[in-house]
Amino acid sequence: MNLLHKATNHPLFQIACFAVLALSFSNCELDEEQQLENRSWTLVWSDEFEGAAGQAPDPNNWAYDIGTGINGWGNQETQYYTDRPENVSLDGNGNLVITALRETFGGASYTSGRINTKNLFNQSYGRFEARMITPYGPGLWPAFWLLGSNIDEVEWPQCGEIDVMELRGQQPNMIAGSIHGPGYSAGDAITASYTSPDSRFDEGYHVYAIEWQKGQIDFFVDDFLYQTITPDDVDGEWVFDDSPFYMLLNVAIGGEYVGFAIPQTIFPQRLIVDWVKVFEKS
Amino acid sequence: MKTKFNYILSFFSLALLLVVLTACEREIDEFQPATFPSIAEVFIDDFSPGLEYAAFGNTDVTAFEVDRDITYQGEASMRIEVPAPEAPEGAFAGGAYFVEGGRDLSSFNVLTFWARASKSALINEVGFGNYLGANENVVILNNIAVNTNWKKYYIPIPDPSILTAERGMFNYAEGHEDNEGYTIWFDEVQFEDLGTVTRMRPSIFNGEDQTQTAETGATFMASGTVTFNLPNGLDQSITASNTYFNYTSSDPSIAVVNENGQITVLDAGTATITATIGEVEAQGSLTINSTGEVVLPATPAPTPMVPAEDVISIYSNVYPNEPLDFINGFWEGSDTQSEEVQVNGDDIIRYTQLNFVGIQFTSPTIDISNMNRVHLDIWTPDGTGPGSEFKVLLEDLGADGTFDQPNNNHEVTIPASNLETGEWVSIDLPLTDFPGLTTRSNLALVVLSGTLPNVFVDNIYFYDDGTGSGGGDDMPEMAAPTPPTRAAGDVISLFSEAYDDVLVDTWRADFSQAVFEDVMIDGNATKKYSALDFAGVEFTSNQLNVTGMTHFHIDMWTPNATEFNFKLVDFGPNGMFEGPFVEDDTEHQIDNINPAQGEWVSYDLPLTDFVGLTNLTNLAQLILVGRPLAASTVFVDNVYFYNDETMSGGDEPTMAAPAPPARAAEDVISLFSDAYDDVAVDTWRTEWSMADFEDVMVAGNATKKYSNLDFVGITTEMTTIDASGMTHFHIDVWTPNATEFNFKIVDFGPNGVFEGPFVEDDTEHQINNLAPPQGQWISYDVPLSDFEGLTNRTNLAQYILVGRPELASTAFVDNIYFYSE
Repeated sequence: MNLLHKATNHPLFQIACFAVLALSFSNCELDEEQQLENRSWTLVWSDEFEGAAGQAPDPNNWAYDIGTGINGWGNQETQYYTDRPENVSLDGNGNLVITALRETFGGASYTSGRINTKNLFNQSYGRFEARMITPYGPGLWPAFWLLGSNIDEVEWPQCGEIDVMELRGQQPNMIAGSIHGPGYSAGDAITASYTSPDSRFDEGYHVYAIEWQKGQIDFFVDDFLYQTITPDDVDGEWVFDDSPFYMLLNVAIGGEYVGFAIPQTIFPQRLIVDWVKVFEKS
Repeated sequence: MKTKFNYILSFFSLALLLVVLTACEREIDEFQPATFPSIAEVFIDDFSPGLEYAAFGNTDVTAFEVDRDITYQGEASMRIEVPAPEAPEGAFAGGAYFVEGGRDLSSFNVLTFWARASKSALINEVGFGNYLGANENVVILNNIAVNTNWKKYYIPIPDPSILTAERGMFNYAEGHEDNEGYTIWFDEVQFEDLGTVTRMRPSIFNGEDQTQTAETGATFMASGTVTFNLPNGLDQSITASNTYFNYTSSDPSIAVVNENGQITVLDAGTATITATIGEVEAQGSLTINSTGEVVLPATPAPTPMVPAEDVISIYSNVYPNEPLDFINGFWEGSDTQSEEVQVNGDDIIRYTQLNFVGIQFTSPTIDISNMNRVHLDIWTPDGTGPGSEFKVLLEDLGADGTFDQPNNNHEVTIPASNLETGEWVSIDLPLTDFPGLTTRSNLALVVLSGTLPNVFVDNIYFYDDGTGSGGGDDMPEMAAPTPPTRAAGDVISLFSEAYDDVLVDTWRADFSQAVFEDVMIDGNATKKYSALDFAGVEFTSNQLNVTGMTHFHIDMWTPNATEFNFKLVDFGPNGMFEGPFVEDDTEHQIDNINPAQGEWVSYDLPLTDFVGLTNLTNLAQLILVGRPLAASTVFVDNVYFYNDETMSGGDEPTMAAPAPPARAAEDVISLFSDAYDDVAVDTWRTEWSMADFEDVMVAGNATKKYSNLDFVGITTEMTTIDASGMTHFHIDVWTPNATEFNFKIVDFGPNGVFEGPFVEDDTEHQINNLAPPQGQWISYDVPLSDFEGLTNRTNLAQYILVGRPELASTAFVDNIYFYSE
């Protein structure tokens, strides 16, 4: 998420370590069966976003990033992040909604929201998942992602970044999962995309998850494994066994990854988050 | 600009050239159930089974060919050569690909294709559902942007479930761009079922909640578009035929709508037409307010009386009429229906659903350069309340006599106040009201429009009224006299440009018997009443208290009235109209005024002349009356009440103070005058004064103005005045409002220092209780001997002016000096 990505599909053989080999990558369908080893999880942290409409998300769980960052949060993003309820609030139906608006604010042409659990919740390993409906349209860039909590000491990308999901609004039926670290960040990140051939991620809820253990990160959409990354895949130091990570949720508009929003892009756009849950291995 | 290509017309010219390009026709077994094959492919690398092509009429029939060199993928693509302008083969490219047998497309949701072109262009239209002339389930995408790269396009199906036997697979239409022909390629044309084409949003009536007033029998056509979100996250709207929409009427006893979207009004009442596609409700609606049975005028239009030799008639039973091209051009955007009806043998044009309509006469055009007025009679059953209007536009084709530019036209709006419901209204206007009509020898069009959906029209003619005014009218050439300046508190104006006007509800109340118009005379807004019997001016929502006023003023100009009367009506303290002298209502009419004709006449009547108007706190109406009955025209301006107590009016003098007489220099010590040399004055307003001060010019003469005056100090403390050789003090004063004006002179005594009145050697005296007449210059010449307390006069240092009411009086002063007789 944090810097330029190259949309290189991850090699197919990453799936091959699991029993199901029959899947052609672009034709993965959600109802196809996969055989995964049993993993047993215990819930350790969650936010179901219960609360009145217009209310801010629980400040014990989430803090705001505000403004335009440096160089558009490192990506030439074009939005101004605020903590206003217009941009970040609960909808009263058990969802957190991050709303991207086309409006002039603080010198930017758009406003949106970005929240994080830095200093509030950090964890190494486990299962991190969010159930969400994405925004859509050229220039929209929603993401659910993790950063190493030692970012202030060692800086990015040494701290490590795990993008559980991100999406380009002009391809609303494709998401990507990635990791960034020293020597494999931005355009050289290790990444794979998952394309839903016959539906769009803005059309309904989907669960985006990683399962992260020492030396391995698995990426899931609706419990369908589409990518596994291990130190063997990385041309550089594996930094995902060093530090706990914290989570981020945001909707960027524009930037190097997604391209600019265009006049025809429809606003407002919303990232609707039903829940965020974190598990550890039982 | 692209040449407009009208595909609908082309469908009707069914001289289609069938070009069957494939032999792969599918044999349909007549004994099978009536289901149709579900074939997705239209053109992948060749014509799909059963596909045929027909060029539209009026197009280049050779425009389409299969191209085996340039393809998006595979063996072949469809190539369209859009002809250059004026190409002998035809000016447009367009055609339909269809299957005689029909296909079941209900399992697909979108037609997709790839396209590129030899240059950037906007293709007029691409779609499906076109089968020769029978176009039931047409979906059209307009203005498709193509360039030299292959790109995929999507034309969603609003409701696939109805396409169980569709024959129109693909169609296109395009004309040249930038005056050049060019080439388009289509490839991989097929129907697909894509989950990435989503968010169907139908809309009808432009997505607006529209309202129409109509009578029984009126018909309207619904039409709709459908917006989808495409796989790139962007919205795209398509035009879809009415077969995709399920229209319903909220009250089928009032209006019904059929599956083709045709709405028919059946009875009086209100019905709202809405639509759905599948489960999705369309945005927009049409609410029909039906007035019920068609209302015809009970009587024919008034019979024109203008001598035939002075008339050029377009439509009447009295005069020979010029040949008309049509009484309804059915122009694009016009909903207007028309027919000719007869009332008592008189032919009348009936327009319904009138939004705008053109009456055209180009064979030949009409020369009205010798005419000076236009006339038409209209009758409407529709309400003519505030906001209603009717517009008449005249257009002349100019010297070239063709519709090519430049043409000249001008539109006049007849406001609600001049319209009537259920009565013939004669619109009779001088052609000078059409200043945009700069030429008149090739008149070709009358365009009628406005807010009235049902209008009967008769007696449309131009005439010369014989005044020899060469297109002028019986109207003043000059504006009414400009009213004098008055203090705001001294005038209550209903209409003038000199004063602030109060709110007037209407210059023509509904009960009036007159035609009313706001006109400009010599750049000055003026009220015009014609065909005047009586006209009511109402200010009932802002009833006027004129107890502070003394006079009523009105300026009037008439070309023909022999008598002009006016009445004021007061609704009494209860503010309610009960009728003359019922309860507390009072009124009085000034009768038998025989105005001079052809000149502005100003009436200034004391309110005391309105003897019957015994209450002045709730004035609500002014009634203007003209004679001969319903045949007089009056122009009215500057209607106001004013307070004439001050005679001069206004709150400042218009004349300078009287010039002082010539005197020998040694006989005068002047503080302020233009006649004498003035001594040095420290200030004309000391810090301790209670007044505003201003140096002003009055009729070119420097004058001191004090306002909000309680008292003001003027001092010569730096150089005190020795007035021991003088006999009199002089001051000129003009006040619009002071009831009392006093002045005091202070002498600082031999020590020249202020210590306070009568302390040490200070002396002073105030002249009190002067009550100057207001609004005129008053000269005071006071013997210094009258300043009894001023026992020393060698060190005059202060001059105090006092006004009453305290802090509310204004005084202009001039010529302040001492003199010796």
